[in-house]
Amino acid sequence: MEQQLTQIKEDALTAIKAAGDLNELNEQRVKYLGKKGSLTAILRGMGKVSPEDRPRIGQLVNDVRSELEASLENRQSALKADELSTRLATEKIDVTLPGRRHEIGHLHPLTLTLNKLKGIFRNMGYSIAEGPQIETDYFNFEALNLPKDHPARDMQDSFYITEDILMRTQTSPVQARTMQAHEPNSPIRIIAPGRVFRRDDYDATHSPMFTQVEGLCIDKNISFSDLKGTLTTAMRQLFSDDLDLRFRPSFFPFTEPSAEVDITCVMCHGKGCRVCKGTGWLEILGSGMVHPHVLEMSGYDPHKVSGFAFGLGVERIAMLSYGIEDLRLFFDNDARFLKQF
Amino acid sequence: MQVSIKWLKDYIDFKETPEKLADMLTMAGVPVENIIDPGIGLEKVVTGRIEELKPHENSDHLQICTINVGADENIIIVTGAKNVAQGQIVPVAMIGAHLPNGMKISKGKLRGVMSYGMLCSAQELKLDLEALPDDQKTGIYILPPDTLIGMPVKDLLGLNDVILEFELTANRSDCFSVFGLVREIAALTGNKPKWPVITLKENSSDKINDLISIEIADQDLCPRFSCRMLKNIKVGPSPEWMQQRLEGAGIRSINNVVDVTNFVMIELGQPLHAYDYDAIKGHNLIARRSIEGELLHTLDDTSRKAKKDMLVIADTEKAAGLAGIMGGFETEITDKTTTVVLEAAKFYGAGIRRTARSCGLISEASGRFERGTDIENTIRALDRAAQLLTQMDVTCAAVTGVLDVYPEKKKPVTIDFTAEAINKHLGTGLDSRIMVDILRKLEIKTEEKNGIITAFIPSWRGDISCMQDISEEISRIYGFDKIESTLPSGLALQGKQSDKQTFVDKLKNIMVSLGLCETVSFSFTHPSILDKLNVPADHFIRNAIPIMNPLTDEYPLVRTCLLTSVMENLTRNFSRKNNDIKIFEIGSIFLPKALPVTELPSEHLEIAGAISGRRNTFSWSEDNSLADFYDAKGIIEELLQKLSISRCTIEAGEQFAMHPGKTAVFKKGRDTVFTVGELHPSVSSAFGITKPVYIFTADIDILMKYTAKTIKSRPLPKYPSTSRDLAILVDTSVEAGIIEKTITKSAGQYLSSLDLFDVYEGKQIEGSKKSLAFSLTFQANDKTLTDAEIDAAFQNIVEALQKNCNASLRA
Repeated sequence: MEQQLTQIKEDALTAIKAAGDLNELNEQRVKYLGKKGSLTAILRGMGKVSPEDRPRIGQLVNDVRSELEASLENRQSALKADELSTRLATEKIDVTLPGRRHEIGHLHPLTLTLNKLKGIFRNMGYSIAEGPQIETDYFNFEALNLPKDHPARDMQDSFYITEDILMRTQTSPVQARTMQAHEPNSPIRIIAPGRVFRRDDYDATHSPMFTQVEGLCIDKNISFSDLKGTLTTAMRQLFSDDLDLRFRPSFFPFTEPSAEVDITCVMCHGKGCRVCKGTGWLEILGSGMVHPHVLEMSGYDPHKVSGFAFGLGVERIAMLSYGIEDLRLFFDNDARFLKQF
Repeated sequence: MQVSIKWLKDYIDFKETPEKLADMLTMAGVPVENIIDPGIGLEKVVTGRIEELKPHENSDHLQICTINVGADENIIIVTGAKNVAQGQIVPVAMIGAHLPNGMKISKGKLRGVMSYGMLCSAQELKLDLEALPDDQKTGIYILPPDTLIGMPVKDLLGLNDVILEFELTANRSDCFSVFGLVREIAALTGNKPKWPVITLKENSSDKINDLISIEIADQDLCPRFSCRMLKNIKVGPSPEWMQQRLEGAGIRSINNVVDVTNFVMIELGQPLHAYDYDAIKGHNLIARRSIEGELLHTLDDTSRKAKKDMLVIADTEKAAGLAGIMGGFETEITDKTTTVVLEAAKFYGAGIRRTARSCGLISEASGRFERGTDIENTIRALDRAAQLLTQMDVTCAAVTGVLDVYPEKKKPVTIDFTAEAINKHLGTGLDSRIMVDILRKLEIKTEEKNGIITAFIPSWRGDISCMQDISEEISRIYGFDKIESTLPSGLALQGKQSDKQTFVDKLKNIMVSLGLCETVSFSFTHPSILDKLNVPADHFIRNAIPIMNPLTDEYPLVRTCLLTSVMENLTRNFSRKNNDIKIFEIGSIFLPKALPVTELPSEHLEIAGAISGRRNTFSWSEDNSLADFYDAKGIIEELLQKLSISRCTIEAGEQFAMHPGKTAVFKKGRDTVFTVGELHPSVSSAFGITKPVYIFTADIDILMKYTAKTIKSRPLPKYPSTSRDLAILVDTSVEAGIIEKTITKSAGQYLSSLDLFDVYEGKQIEGSKKSLAFSLTFQANDKTLTDAEIDAAFQNIVEALQKNCNASLRA
């Protein structure tokens, strides 16, 4: 019996080794370890073994069984690994074929720029205010210290609807509307983004419609230095931390003092290039301390509070940010342009 | 305003280069737009005498010149010029010169002979050819025989004067004069101006009162009117120096009288007008309102009809000229004029502005009057002009006396302020002495008493009227760049935006995630676009607001409908072969409350868009089929789901621009939430579109009204679900919507989802029928459903479908 066992073991181990695939291996398992397998048959014949030999033979049979099972396991792993590598070797696809894309759309570059500006100013405590695009002469001009026949009205040739109603030329009327809606002398921090209209010819740098963001900050003790600091912070967030700002005295009827603000040219970093016309500076916004008349006209007391205001062109910032050279591209809405953003 | 450095230097010394000066002025709020150097490129061009001229051995058109340029050695220049001769003085571009036309001069061999420079023509020197006699326009520019040799041509031709071109702001009328600019330079450099002494010797014993009278009829338009007279004038050219100064200021010389009036205008900022005394009827000048329709024969020999409220200067017979804008033809200074009346006045700026614009006559003078001239300056300007004329022409005699009608003397402006208020406004800590010193340099006198400073504003600074104006003067001269940068103190405010703004942002993001590109279009439109869009004649969209002064014929109206913009964008893209289009826009439309407009219109935000072309990206892995109605509708459904707008009724509807059989309207009660449809065939053909286009439109307020404010989450089901498929046959006319509604209503409480997964019409079934297959999922929150429960629900559905939709189960 012992001999028989040894014989079965050797035969089985050889057969397991020789099994070429998982099916063959399974056949061998059945042949030796299955219900009708040869090792099983020996176990069944244990009754015939003398009681004194029984533990030893039993042990022997169990050892052979364990050895065969281990061998089967090993062989199975090896065969599985072989099978997998064969499969992997044949399952190659062309990964350079384009993927199946689900195209998503694109926000307009002006929206992207506006969102950036709105985010910067919201974080600085500015709320987003809005006003009508068709405005009264009063809010568009008079409440901003631009009485009829003021020569500065020439700076903004307007589209008129009637003598007293026009397409707003700036988002500044929102300033006056906001102040008038507030408790007099209460603090205000708003930006007013929106479309504005001027009777300008349509070319690479002018458009009869464009987008402006107007800002207004009113409180006790607001000073020109606060205007400088606020705009410096905002512009650095918008472009880059190492940006320099230059404040040039200027004139706007609604502010006093007034300043035009230049930033270091974002194209050449101040070295001088075609975009900045060799000056190293780019004019980016207009600003100033709110004129006492403007405060008074909207019910605020210039002796108690002061404020600053600023206005910037969103198209200009978008053009600088994205290197767009023709303003008309914004309103052309060519899909090839829109899909770049 | 432009002026030459030399003119400025006549009245103040400064060492700064023109560039530096321009920068200083710009940074002080007197912006220099351009620095023009007429002599640029002429640095190495000098005068030289042709000592010897001999023919070139190897050329029949070249000559070899030996030229004396005042140096130790003569130089040799080979020239092809034909108009040169021995002994002539000519401009010589030396080696290293870089001429205005870009030509660089270097030594070179011309047919074997070395040449060390070039003789220059007027064109090469960039001289004003029109001002030259014909024989000097071509060929080498021959200089007068007494010209010194070795002299820089720049100096000789007066091209060494750099011109500053200003882009002045509307408030600084005082800087529209050399005097004003000199004051600024004085304040910035600290140097003292050298003002010219303005004195006049009245060397005629005639008294002006005996010769002429003036009056103001309309004081509101003309608050001051002053005159002087000069006799025995010989009209002729003005002296060279004056012509040069005027040229630097961009003014062409006319004759001595006109030149002097212009000179004084640029110098002092006070425009003057000169009349031929003998042509003034009745020897009386009146500043009065025009009579509507009154004829005016102006200097430019044009007959104009005056409008109401224009100010004219008239003699006893008729209006002689438009005050402050253009003089009259009859009283113009001519060669024969011998007696001149000079007028200096203050005119109401806004009136001048209106008149100048309505006549299309904008001049140096009208520009100054518009911005506001110094009312106290009229007599001085008259004296200055008379002084210059009598100095230039010995026979000219100034008539004794001056006429001055100035009914209401302007009160001087004084402003009280404290250093503390200025510092608070600017965020500075300046000592009051620094403030006072800056004001002093600007010729603003001050007095200080108990910490309150009183500033006496000079008459020429009409722009200064309050403490804030004083703060500007101080800060701009002190330097904006020296003011610190701080952030506002005080209570922190929260940056907010309205629900609507947040909603619009969200909407845009959803549309983008659904594959659409955002467009931004003009708020204008044209009636023809409304025609093309099939808008019915009586539709409110037709009531678009007209613009009084549109830029072009293209856009005379303000848009009342966003689809007009969508269609323009679409056709523009199609014309550029961008065929796969998915676009949307969110923007305002403008609906008048009445036409003509009497109050502000209501502004509505709308969303609209279009899709056309391929459904998916053009790709090897797609079938590249075209998008259809259901792609467009799917976008809207997905959008509404994302906005949590559920349970809209969707029905076939009508919209003027959409195909009547292919339009779906999403409704909530009576409100239309969204309309989507295929572009109407006649709209397509009106726009020249030959492929299917699907458009959609909605009102933002209505969308927002039905959008859930918050998202309410449901727990995940604890018990398993069971799915059953249901395939039915119905008449082709039965809408899927009705069937879905019937199923939902009859299913009982356990139907958790319903998906239509197949629609079939064709050979397999009867001609008038269609087959629809649904997948139904049943689920309960509190138990596992039994087959019996599901069977019962299913049976209910089948019965309801049979009853309501005449449906039969498909075998």
